[in-house]
Amino acid sequence: MPDFTTTSYLDDLRSKLGTDWPTLSRARQTTATRRDELARLIVGEESEDANVVVYGSMARGEMTRESDLDWTLLLDKPVDPSDLPTSQRVAKKIRDAGFVEPGKTNIFGTMTSSHSLVHNIGGQDDTNANTTRRVLLLLESYAPGKCEAYVRVRRHILFRYVDDDYGLSFGSGQKIVPRFLLNDLSRYWRTVTVDFVHKQRAEAGGKWALRNAKLRMSRKLIFAAGLLACFECHLDEDAKRAREEIRSRSHRSAELIDYLERAFSVPPLEILARSVLRHAKLDTARLLFDNYEAFLALLDNPEKRKTLGNLDPNQVRDNEVFQEVRQISHRFQDGLTRLFFHDNKELYSLTEFYGVF
Amino acid sequence: MRPIGFSTGAIAKGDFRRALEMMAPLRLPAVELSALRLRELPHLAEAAGELSLSEYRYISVHAPSNFAVADERRVVSLLRGLADRGWPIVVHPDVIFTDALWVEFGNKLLIENNDKRKSAGRTARELQALFARFPEAGLCFDIGHARQVDPTMNEAYLILQGQADLSQVHISEVNSFSRHEPLSSAAIEASRRVADLVPEHVPIILETLIDQGQSTMEQELFRASEALTSVLPVEA
Repeated sequence: MPDFTTTSYLDDLRSKLGTDWPTLSRARQTTATRRDELARLIVGEESEDANVVVYGSMARGEMTRESDLDWTLLLDKPVDPSDLPTSQRVAKKIRDAGFVEPGKTNIFGTMTSSHSLVHNIGGQDDTNANTTRRVLLLLESYAPGKCEAYVRVRRHILFRYVDDDYGLSFGSGQKIVPRFLLNDLSRYWRTVTVDFVHKQRAEAGGKWALRNAKLRMSRKLIFAAGLLACFECHLDEDAKRAREEIRSRSHRSAELIDYLERAFSVPPLEILARSVLRHAKLDTARLLFDNYEAFLALLDNPEKRKTLGNLDPNQVRDNEVFQEVRQISHRFQDGLTRLFFHDNKELYSLTEFYGVF
Repeated sequence: MRPIGFSTGAIAKGDFRRALEMMAPLRLPAVELSALRLRELPHLAEAAGELSLSEYRYISVHAPSNFAVADERRVVSLLRGLADRGWPIVVHPDVIFTDALWVEFGNKLLIENNDKRKSAGRTARELQALFARFPEAGLCFDIGHARQVDPTMNEAYLILQGQADLSQVHISEVNSFSRHEPLSSAAIEASRRVADLVPEHVPIILETLIDQGQSTMEQELFRASEALTSVLPVEA
């Protein structure tokens, strides 16, 4: 089983490449400080059934100076009228402590019930907000304080993805990839890209360039990490027992759920680094991580971030900052293409088989 | 047939004599003498030698689940007398304050996985740390607690896959307020996911509270047998 709790694959990769990613290191340090600060703020507001969960850059370990804080009060319990006042107190504490507030979508900064996350995977009631909350709970989330409900709900969700995937248990193919989960991650990624255009229209181009940059980099990163976590179920020697158990006559899913739970317990950059160490050439590793470093450095520059935040879509062609982030994103995409399609035959085979149809 | 029986506390709360009387006609092979409340323990220790227990192939004692550190020596001393009769002692991890006192029970000590209200002994990882401190102790696996902590039963699976020697099983429904209740269909279905990991010889103790007429012993025994029938086909 990969030891995601004590090993930093990013540090291993850094050593292997003999390089330094100062912004990534600083972002990790900033994140740790801010997480501690938040944990102190919410003392007394949580229970084993109601945990504060953060998403976004704090969850990814990528906080820079202007990062906002996306959070929710995750409830896994019988209804209680006092939950709303609790979430409002948490919101006030976070605001008063100077954290940048979440966006206007109402997906974050309020309560989230576990029931719809677990029960409504697909179907009419699986709204964009529900899909976003569920998928992000797996791909980029973190519980800074108590974590019982958080751990429980994530496991419930993985249980649904694995246990309801009859192809995993009863399929005759040799590949063992959680396809129900993979399809939902793909659906989420496509939804994000479509919603990007929706927001462009609905908000008359406001923050278009900043959103575009994040779409090209951090949003794409979490999708790539999700795909890799799914593919590693088939490739990873540490998942061998999980594969055997689910294809045994008893079709036991517990080991695979446990494997995925551990895989998703670390930030997406760590998931990417682990797969890169296992499957990619060194040039690919440099393309991916040098350019992610460059992206974070750009976001950490107040002037450049401000420029992106205020840039009108009609001005992007002639804007140096936007062209810089565009070039960074192209090289990052090149790294992903090499990783998924060129460096490793097995990974290519899985990408070809599951990535399109 | 599995050694199966009830906790006396589930049949008649605080009155083990009454519970034993009620259970007698069923001629069950197993029983757990409950001293869940601290005040019950001295009475049980005093009466132990006089109780009519010859019918039972398996007898265990449930230690008090809540007492102060100051009471620990007295509790252990009273339990020592019961363990000397060959009866395993079931204890919740959160009342083990002084390891040295409990380690002396050796393999007569059965540590039970906790419900979600407690801060230790709930998960496989937490139990692993506990059993490292008590290497001779056995596991009293509470299916209801495990399901309350993780309704997918993955934690149950991980606990049962752990290193601890599975010595006894508690079965019941545990509601969101951590109260033991008669088995629901959902609890039965969940239990069946791990039933194949409970060997036939391991004693099963029902903790389904029926002291207020919520159900009958016969009904609960039937439901427990359903819960312990694996949904999984046996490996060829």
